[in-house]
Amino acid sequence: MSANPFLEVNNLNVVFHTKSASGMFNKEHNHAVKNVSFSVYEGEVLSLVGESGCGKTTIGRVITHLEHAGTGEIIYAGQNILTMSDTRFRPLRKQIQMIFQDPYASLNPRLTVEKTLSEPLFIHKLVKNRSDARTKIAAMLNEVGLNAEAMDRYPHEFSGGQRQRIGIARVMMVQPRLIIADEAVSALDVSIQAQVLNLLKQLQRSSGVAMLFISHDLAVVRHISDRIAVMYQGEIVELNETRQIFEQPQHEYTQRLLSSIPVIPSRKNIEPTLSSNGGML
Amino acid sequence: MSKAEALLRVENLNIAILENKQLQPVVRGISFDLHTGETLGIVGESGSGKSLTALAIMGLLTGTPIRITGGHIWFKGEDLLQQSKAQRRALMGNAMAMIFQEPMTSLNPVYRIGDQIIETIKQHQNINANGARKRALELLDMVKIPDATHRIDHYPHQLSGGQRQRVMIAMALACDPDLLIADEPTTALDVTVQKEILELMAELQRTTGTAIILISHDLGVITQTCDSVAVMYCGKIVESSSTKNLFDRLGHPYTRGLINSIPPLDNDIEWLNAIPGQVPALNALPTGCPFQPRCYHAQDQCNQAPPLTLIDDEHKVRCHFAVQLQSSDS
Amino acid sequence: MRVLISPLRFILEALRGRKLATIGALWLLLIIVLGIGAPLVAPFDPLEIDPIARLSEPGAPYLFGTDHFGRDTFSRAVYGARMALIIGFGSVVVALLCGGLIGMLSGYFTGLGHILMRVVDVLMAFPALLLALGLMTILERSVMNTIIVIGTVYATTTARILFGMTLKLKNDVFIDAARCTGAGHFSILFKHILPNLLSPILVQATFIFAFAQLQAAALDFLGLGLPPETPSWGNMLAEERIYITRAPWLLIYPGVLIILSVFSMNLLGDALRDRIDPRFKDDIAGV
Repeated sequence: MSANPFLEVNNLNVVFHTKSASGMFNKEHNHAVKNVSFSVYEGEVLSLVGESGCGKTTIGRVITHLEHAGTGEIIYAGQNILTMSDTRFRPLRKQIQMIFQDPYASLNPRLTVEKTLSEPLFIHKLVKNRSDARTKIAAMLNEVGLNAEAMDRYPHEFSGGQRQRIGIARVMMVQPRLIIADEAVSALDVSIQAQVLNLLKQLQRSSGVAMLFISHDLAVVRHISDRIAVMYQGEIVELNETRQIFEQPQHEYTQRLLSSIPVIPSRKNIEPTLSSNGGML
Repeated sequence: MSKAEALLRVENLNIAILENKQLQPVVRGISFDLHTGETLGIVGESGSGKSLTALAIMGLLTGTPIRITGGHIWFKGEDLLQQSKAQRRALMGNAMAMIFQEPMTSLNPVYRIGDQIIETIKQHQNINANGARKRALELLDMVKIPDATHRIDHYPHQLSGGQRQRVMIAMALACDPDLLIADEPTTALDVTVQKEILELMAELQRTTGTAIILISHDLGVITQTCDSVAVMYCGKIVESSSTKNLFDRLGHPYTRGLINSIPPLDNDIEWLNAIPGQVPALNALPTGCPFQPRCYHAQDQCNQAPPLTLIDDEHKVRCHFAVQLQSSDS
Repeated sequence: MRVLISPLRFILEALRGRKLATIGALWLLLIIVLGIGAPLVAPFDPLEIDPIARLSEPGAPYLFGTDHFGRDTFSRAVYGARMALIIGFGSVVVALLCGGLIGMLSGYFTGLGHILMRVVDVLMAFPALLLALGLMTILERSVMNTIIVIGTVYATTTARILFGMTLKLKNDVFIDAARCTGAGHFSILFKHILPNLLSPILVQATFIFAFAQLQAAALDFLGLGLPPETPSWGNMLAEERIYITRAPWLLIYPGVLIILSVFSMNLLGDALRDRIDPRFKDDIAGV
């Protein structure tokens, strides 16, 4: 983990204006993100953790230009990407990628896995022709624990966990420098969640990609993060190294959050499994 | 434990889905008991059959392509599966009640919450409008809805997720049921709200003595609230024990795997000991033990269906090696 | 080839277990065969006159009898099938291309959508036939113009339907994912959104095809559609209607053909609609 801030968020404010349910001319203002500042360092995993409505997902979507309602600064590669137009931001999309929460909705049901995975390759001109693409896709599918022949199938032929692996493959294909994982394991069964968490951790370690990990699940966050930012109603209430957050939580909300987690008695022993690091296939 | 003593006894329940004119078994012979004032947790992941079991007990499977193909559900001495629709309907909301995962879709958005509670009350009790409203207010107080006299006239969308779930609980308890089935009641809620709801349910159980079946995929929730646990995998109960024993003793490898899949909060480990592979499709189950392909302990013997073995006081494990795994534990 | 197999399979699966719709589909197949093979099937030239045999009853060699010019009704009916196909497919193509483009673009680019949809709203305020009539009075009678007019009329409903669907799809997660991948607007529209609209488009096409027959027949009947000599079922009705008491078969045959074809298309459309992506079931209210 280097000391260079890789991504710097300064005084980010996001306000959503929506039509109110009461009255035709009333507008509701939802101050989703309030003056948020933080940095992500190269190679680190920073988690944004909080409950619903805290603004963590909004931050992720603003960084990837899926929402445009923000003011402030998001400095990446020396530029403020927040105020950039979508067109100028496009080439940066190769470097900033996103993994989505719902494995059943994040893949186009009408496209084969090959088509979905080759799209980023062609857009960012990483391959010259289809057979090049297929080779790269096959390698990537293997890396995420799937068979290469998966590329000729459609999303509905896969389980939730497998679809999420495909989503991860799509992101890793362009060798990004920052991955935003928006509740990337929240919609998965517990046993599959563990597999995919292991996979994410492994990929992050081997590629050195920086990760902004957004989640509501503190146990998951603890397992994967270097640092944690705790959010409440649009603000970061505490930001610290993972260990510190859990062993010496400072803010009252962090303490409340930690005490709400139902506790499982600590386990006695850990048995070996079929393959190392939690098995993929 | 004789049938008369257990409030609910499920005996060899089999449930199947009618697909393309063929019956595909989903729940394959499960049995468990529940006593008054007790909480039983049913843990399982997708495809385990836990929700279908709950729906079968409540009698919510009529009119669906899901069929109960065998077994008995003894409730207060009567076999529910032998009863008529009318008899079962008389029980619903009355002697047994259910709350669901998504309070927004379980409550009718166009009716006030007070009216919905009152509807349940009037359905089963001979009571006039005033009396019903009084009872509804009592219930809202019981579930700690603040400012109940005003909230009773609110619509569901005006309440938060946690409050809606409280309203669901109030509706469920309206007629003082003997049995409450809660299907993932806190899964859609924030963790701080979850804590409050679970505490509320525990307190209500203490005061009313209702027996509760709590269905969840979250072992933490189960640990906090349940006296006993049944772990389901591919339509079978693979382990059942008191909650304490589940963690104190080595039970079924699947349970072990589930426990290992949860990142620990009290220490750092490098890799989670995840269960490899995935849940098999219903129509492609392996012969014998369904967990075989993913089990670190699998052997040839596992091609035969393992029996439910008693390894301790009320601790049963469906594994050929249930006892052996105990002795290898340090 | 792969693009064709998918709609074919969709149709076959939709028909499974639905006897009436299958019969309808077979009827349509027959019409298609007859229409394409008209020169081979028709025993006579549809324009050929046999003044001696005017208004003869059905019997050899004139299977369906002859009209007031002595033209063979059966041959005219067969060529009429061809015309029905041309009008049907032509209208579908025009409606889907224009309406589809307008609808999709409006749904995707909301600013543009506000303007375009208002124009569509105005056009939709006119009953289809009235609109067709209005347009036809400006244009001269020809096959091409009939196709253009009918296509334009149904382009409006198509635009509205695809507008709604695009709005829904636009916010789906996989579209966000495509954006993050770096896909541009047109990539998203045509590579991501359009493939998901194919099933509803197919259903819409069947309904347009059916209604096009009725519109064309109505236009012909009013003397505004196809040129008078063109053998079409509508023209046959139009020209022979005064002979209804003397030679009712001249009206029965084309009439029944129209009814059966429209009915079959509707049955097929219903069957397809029931198998469609549940997200869009409510959007296809028919034409």
